[in-house]
Amino acid sequence: MAETVADPFFKGNTGRNTRGILRLSILVLIAAAAIASRLFSVIRFESIIHEFDPWFNFRATKYLVSNGFYDFWDWFDDRTWHPLGRVTGGTLYPGLMVTSGAIYHALRALTIPVDIRNICVLLAPGFSGLTAFATYLFTNEMSTSPSAGLLAAAFMGIAPGYISRSVAGSYDNEAIAIFLLVFTFYLWIKAVKLGSAMWGALCALFYGYMVSAWGGYVFITNLIPLHVFVLVCMGRFSPRLYVSYCTWYALGTLASMQIPFVGFLPIRSSEHMSALGVFGLLQLVGFVEFVRSGVPSKQFGTLLRGFVLLVFGISFGGLVLLTVSGVIAPWTGRFYSLWDTGYAKIHIPIIASVSEHQPTAWPAYFFDLNLLIWLFPAGVYLCFQKLADEQVFVVVYSILASYFSGVMVRLMLTLTPIVCVAAALAVSSLLDTYLLLKSPEYPGDSATEAGSNGTPAPSKKAAKQDGLRSMRQPLVGIYTTFSKMSVVSALTSYLLIFVLHCTWVTSNAYSSPSVVLASRMPDGSQHIIDDYREAYQWLRQNTAEDAKIMSWWDYGYQIGGMADRPTLVDNNTWNNTHIATVGKAMSSREEVSYPIMRQHEVDYVLVVFGGLLGYSGDDINKFLWMVRIAEGIWPDEVKERDFFTDRGEYRVDEGATETMKNSLMYKMSYYNYCTLFPPGQCQDRVRGVKLPDVGPTLNTVEEAFTSENWIIRIFKVKDLDNAGRDLASAASFERGNKKKKTIKKRGPKVLRVE
Amino acid sequence: MRPLAIATAVLSFASAAVCVEKGNLTKPLTSKLILPSTFRPAQNFKNANLVHIINLEKSYPKESINVVIENVASTPQDEYFIPFTSQQMATIGGLEVKDRKNPESPLFEVEAFIIYLPLTGTNRCYSDTQFYRIHLPEPLAPKAQQTLGISFYYLSALNPLPATIAQADKQYLVYTLSAYCQSAYDTLKQKTEVKFPSTTVPEYTIVPGTKGSPESPQKQGSKFTYGSYGEVPAGAVEPVKVRYEFTKPLIHVSELERDIEVSHWGGNIAFEERYIMTNRAANLSKQFSRVEWASQTYYNPPSTAVKELRFPLRVGSLEPYFTDVIGNVSTSRFRSNRREANLEIKPRYPVFGGWNYPFRVGWNADLKKYLRKLSGGEGYVLNVPFLEGPKQPEGIEYEHIELRVILPEGAENVQYSTTVPLVSASTSLHRTFMDTTGRTALTLTAINIVDDLRDRELIVTYDYPLLAGFRKPLVIFVTILSLFAAAWGIGSLDVTIKNKRS
Repeated sequence: MAETVADPFFKGNTGRNTRGILRLSILVLIAAAAIASRLFSVIRFESIIHEFDPWFNFRATKYLVSNGFYDFWDWFDDRTWHPLGRVTGGTLYPGLMVTSGAIYHALRALTIPVDIRNICVLLAPGFSGLTAFATYLFTNEMSTSPSAGLLAAAFMGIAPGYISRSVAGSYDNEAIAIFLLVFTFYLWIKAVKLGSAMWGALCALFYGYMVSAWGGYVFITNLIPLHVFVLVCMGRFSPRLYVSYCTWYALGTLASMQIPFVGFLPIRSSEHMSALGVFGLLQLVGFVEFVRSGVPSKQFGTLLRGFVLLVFGISFGGLVLLTVSGVIAPWTGRFYSLWDTGYAKIHIPIIASVSEHQPTAWPAYFFDLNLLIWLFPAGVYLCFQKLADEQVFVVVYSILASYFSGVMVRLMLTLTPIVCVAAALAVSSLLDTYLLLKSPEYPGDSATEAGSNGTPAPSKKAAKQDGLRSMRQPLVGIYTTFSKMSVVSALTSYLLIFVLHCTWVTSNAYSSPSVVLASRMPDGSQHIIDDYREAYQWLRQNTAEDAKIMSWWDYGYQIGGMADRPTLVDNNTWNNTHIATVGKAMSSREEVSYPIMRQHEVDYVLVVFGGLLGYSGDDINKFLWMVRIAEGIWPDEVKERDFFTDRGEYRVDEGATETMKNSLMYKMSYYNYCTLFPPGQCQDRVRGVKLPDVGPTLNTVEEAFTSENWIIRIFKVKDLDNAGRDLASAASFERGNKKKKTIKKRGPKVLRVE
Repeated sequence: MRPLAIATAVLSFASAAVCVEKGNLTKPLTSKLILPSTFRPAQNFKNANLVHIINLEKSYPKESINVVIENVASTPQDEYFIPFTSQQMATIGGLEVKDRKNPESPLFEVEAFIIYLPLTGTNRCYSDTQFYRIHLPEPLAPKAQQTLGISFYYLSALNPLPATIAQADKQYLVYTLSAYCQSAYDTLKQKTEVKFPSTTVPEYTIVPGTKGSPESPQKQGSKFTYGSYGEVPAGAVEPVKVRYEFTKPLIHVSELERDIEVSHWGGNIAFEERYIMTNRAANLSKQFSRVEWASQTYYNPPSTAVKELRFPLRVGSLEPYFTDVIGNVSTSRFRSNRREANLEIKPRYPVFGGWNYPFRVGWNADLKKYLRKLSGGEGYVLNVPFLEGPKQPEGIEYEHIELRVILPEGAENVQYSTTVPLVSASTSLHRTFMDTTGRTALTLTAINIVDDLRDRELIVTYDYPLLAGFRKPLVIFVTILSLFAAAWGIGSLDVTIKNKRS
């Protein structure tokens, strides 16, 4: 090889430094790319918090920043779940808010005037850069190839499966949790490899941080014990394993118990039992190993058998006893739905009503992971080739995460890191093979490459003389430049297409704030449909400070965050009965709903109606879930069947059932809607049906505000009538109807109080 | 014959006292002087001729009094008093006095007086009658005459009647005035003109005629004239109530915070204004109906709702933004070219009577157009508009304005001048963007301002030494250098526990 000018930079000590700087700059660029690709929504719209849950996190962060940590810890929020309230400080994962609060105060200490909203919006992209770095570290533990880590970091940075939960504005627990997940795993691998208590303790520390940040910490709580269990079953018990696991478990459990929301769950709930069990198992195995070293092998066999039986009997009996007596909490519904995808739909409609709890469709894998999904098995296969402790972890992780990602859409998120790692292992192994492979010395040949010394001519002649024609060429198969070139260029183009795909998916699928809708004007310019904020701002400015708003729970967090008004139910669906009460009020006749609303001191009712604009995520389309959830509590009063026609259709037009037409939700959605159209042309553009010309009448509520495109409609609940009439007859009198002579057979329906 | 005797309303100082503890009518103004209750302005003047013009074309009454005063004392006098009730005193704004004969002359010095009643104990009670004192630049010689042009306006003085109307109804406002101009001196001849926005004035007080004066008012299109009247003693009032159509919003800004940030390094001047806006118009008698509103927008009838606000900014303004508490408001437009820079913003919803809409707007501009370096030395002159709020045909009133001019870090010797009446001014330090000592901030407070004063200038001069400009780069450089040094120092420490020799 010829000496080049650059040579001194790539050899020896300087070479190491050069490579280090290159690696660092590549990582920084990857982090920059990861952050930049998440900013679509900020550039297109504005720096705004997205969707639903992030609004609560944002509100909690503002509370933390303005009231301090201890107030936040003790926060009782009387502006949600009216009249119950919520012990918010004890029922949330504070990691996210505390992180952004810490960043906020750090920047304030440097007198950089940054709005807490911007910190919240940009937290997820910022942490995605850190995730890329953590993936790099994690992958480097798996492979000796220098490119694997960088590739994994690049994949992690732009994989849509992770971007879906970490675009700017998506201020949710996952924003920091995925970084913590990957980093905890990295520390765990490091601890197992070195058998070091320090790394185990660090792992426990980050595990504690993870527990404070996301309910998905249970994934770590189960994956690490599973890894240890598999290793023990493979006969790989070692003091390294014992030290690292015991350190992690003892410290990690203590750390996790510091979070009020988790509290004593780690020793009481079934989800955490595997970690405890493996902890016990390790003690036993350690004890047995100790005994083995001191007892002759013949007696040892008998001793072991008896010992195993005894321990198994005691622990199993104890577990059953504790579960039956209720010391250990039974499995939660969300957990059951992890195993049986049909479970939720039958037993807990509220879990099934959330779209992210649905089972994953096959195309979603390709959509979210693209080429990684077919590189993934190859990467896992490569792990089997050199099956050290850390490779076992990859295998275990892939199997577990693959299963869970098939059960719930949102768990795709936990699969993504390992897919990136495995795919990077596969790609780097391919690249290493084709880029770095030195052509072997041909027997009898001194060298093959041009510019090398020696005389190749006579040996070539000799080769020609014997055997197959293909054998005459000294370099065949993968050694030729052609094969190297073709494989590498194909791989490069795949990777480039992957980048294109990621950009496209991020830009089109995951970058809509959903609070703001965008449409195009006829001249191609962007038109923003901002009805949500219009209505929320109206509520915030022009209603009483403590006016209670009733709406379906989807909008609870947004009302709390943007309109700053107390709500009856919100996205923290902890009280199914309360939600069912709202569902009942929405799906019943006005005579039934009114007492419910009065009892809950409701001042305004907010409904979302997309009929004018063709906005399909409106309340009429969600209505059946309200009915189902209400039916779960009041099967006698609300019946889903009544909302379907005789032919089993869900209709809103002329052919809708009487129950449907009389339900408060239907009436509020279509109230006054038809006056907007010329007679006979009243149309619902979501459901594509023509509506009757005479709209519903409302007696107990009155229209208070309707947003520009009718997406949000707010109704004011009327006060009791001054003259003591019921509101229906009072409204009828106002309209100038004659009083009916017929005597009512029954009084108005009364809310059954239990 | 006449229901009200003129003499009954001679100023009676103790008739009504206002206590601070009871009502919030008298806002404590730093520029106010307190006098004992025995104070009465000396009858040194008489008003030879007086024309009182009340302009009701905007959403606040704008009054101007053109008066020829004559010194009836034997010595030269330079103090002329105008009386107001404490109610008026709380809402009066922008009182300015000029020499009518000489429009080029500077504004006269004006001071507010409160008559203080030393009543029981600690109660700080004020008399119902208070004064403004006009300080004539040159004492008026005995028997000499001078023509004063006094102009002022009241905030929140117009009230809708009926107080609630339907969405598409017309709005009527009520205003109470006096046919005789309130004065601390005898007036020989006077008349009061009321200018209405339209000819629709369904109700007004008719003052019967007396000797020498016909029945008032005389109507002339949308202008009503009361008088003229002959000699009227000091302090006489003749209440007149008018009710007229005004189907426009009454935009009331209860608080405006305006920040002007000067950056020498960036060559940029940044403006930000935070409004707390309310519409004082008649409330809706029924709830808001979107159908009606949507069908109306096609033929755009007059409405009491605020639909749009237009900010004519200085040419060359850049990068405007319009946000409220929950984020950017997308319904804004900015037209900028070489001749104009108009920011047109629409609130998220039409702001009807009784509704609130707080918002924030801001923009940047090239500093060169506002700042000039004084030749020689380190002095700078900054010339910015005091107020750049929206320019609406119906006008806007500002109850409280806090203007903050944030100068670069290290600016000193700050002086300012403006013709807008201020109540307080102070300088403080404002720390931001990694400041070490903090930037010098000049805070000016004004109350009861209307958009008539929109184009008044504020001139700020200050010294900015060259070294102060290099303070921040130096501080950051030294900090980062010491961070590196510390990292290097810590990195080279050996903290391992193992035996050194092995």
